[in-house]
Amino acid sequence: MIKNVLLVDDEQEMLLSLKEGFEKYSDIFSVLLAGDGEDALEKLKENTFFLVVTDLKMPRMDGFTLLTHIMIDYPDIPVIIITAHSIPIMVKMAKKVGAVGYIEKPFMVEDLAQKIITTLRDQSDGGTLHSASSGLFLQLIEMEQKTCTIRLVNKSSGRRGVLFFREGILLDARINGVHGEAAAHEILSWDDVILSIQNECSQKERNIKGELQAILLEAMRLKDEAAQGEDATITGGEERETQKEDSIIIGYEEKEAERPAEERITEKPDFNAIKRKLEKKIGDRRGVEDIYQDNSWDGLVSQVAGVGEFFNAGKLKVCYISEGESRDFILLPGEKTTLISLNPDALKGWIIEVLSR
Amino acid sequence: MKKLFNDILSMKDVKGVMLFSFEGELLFRDFSSLPSTFLENRDWTPFIKALIGVQEADLVFETLRFYIRKTTTGYLMVLMDILAPIAMVRLNCDILLPSLKQENTAKGLRNLFKRKK
Repeated sequence: MIKNVLLVDDEQEMLLSLKEGFEKYSDIFSVLLAGDGEDALEKLKENTFFLVVTDLKMPRMDGFTLLTHIMIDYPDIPVIIITAHSIPIMVKMAKKVGAVGYIEKPFMVEDLAQKIITTLRDQSDGGTLHSASSGLFLQLIEMEQKTCTIRLVNKSSGRRGVLFFREGILLDARINGVHGEAAAHEILSWDDVILSIQNECSQKERNIKGELQAILLEAMRLKDEAAQGEDATITGGEERETQKEDSIIIGYEEKEAERPAEERITEKPDFNAIKRKLEKKIGDRRGVEDIYQDNSWDGLVSQVAGVGEFFNAGKLKVCYISEGESRDFILLPGEKTTLISLNPDALKGWIIEVLSR
Repeated sequence: MKKLFNDILSMKDVKGVMLFSFEGELLFRDFSSLPSTFLENRDWTPFIKALIGVQEADLVFETLRFYIRKTTTGYLMVLMDILAPIAMVRLNCDILLPSLKQENTAKGLRNLFKRKK
């Protein structure tokens, strides 16, 4: 299976020379090009990639921000960083936010090609099947309680998808930017596929609640409906679910304003909704130690809100505070301030991103 | 001194920088779109005093974002659009802080930044 690799850099000449240099590896991987992080995100939505290679300093959206988006929305796609600015803190930050490799400019095309090939090879360390029925094979995965990531290509349409299994349980599915059962229904309806198995699973949260058998039956039903001319397109249920959880957290303040003052004092924000949202988006690496209300921070939050008002910045969503010596936390404004304490290894950039979305 | 902040100020979506003393005095500001009097007429003391103990802060609003960093002189605040590359801003601050410290030691930053009354 020839795998798609996305190269992201704002230096057009660099991209073109890499593309040319990689032509001799075209039987292993093919490359698509993006000029910056925003362009890369658009391409990620439209195509299936097995690896992203990105520069750090770029206009519109830099490599760090792109990396954060990939780790949240495409956790199965590894990222290799290339940059001219090899500062130790940059390397440390890149690895902290999930990059699998780092290569310093200038570099030999062959060195990067070898790094790409090694990373891609790891994605099929469990083997590749070139003509299989996905339904039958996946039932075997379930029976054997395997933990793996399976990448599939529909031979008739060329569509590509990813399935995440942990101990035989189907946790999630993804086709381009669509996750969850909707993506699983489409993938499981494919008759003839090429599939490669990676013996590890980066997905932590279970986004598919149903049993594999039920998903398979629903996939068949949708396929029959499609064959009868009915529209069985992916509906984006995942997005709706996320929006629902957002409204639980962000909508807390609006709901508070509508209530009588005496009720507001006793009401607490839904800590479980915050935890669920972080678990779902970041998984075990979220690094949250505790969530509680702490009105000793109301003064700071009020001052911050005042500065926001001065600059006409809109409503305050999230305050990240570091006091040094491993004391990092996030403050959420409300009737009383909600404090989320973070451990030193917490992926604070992701957490801020998720909570402020 | 403006040169010191050039890397940050030239970043896309960064609107400006402000440097405060620990007492809340505005020592330096560079905003492309705001008149200086707009910033200077505000009493920043309560805000800066509320930051005591804070080494670093990232304040996210609906349309803007503020990155704050404690320096040897006081607090540096970078104002940016919501989609600004915060990791790069943080990195540029990491690079900038030693130079700011040197400048402070060598020339006496307070005098250098002192506003004309």
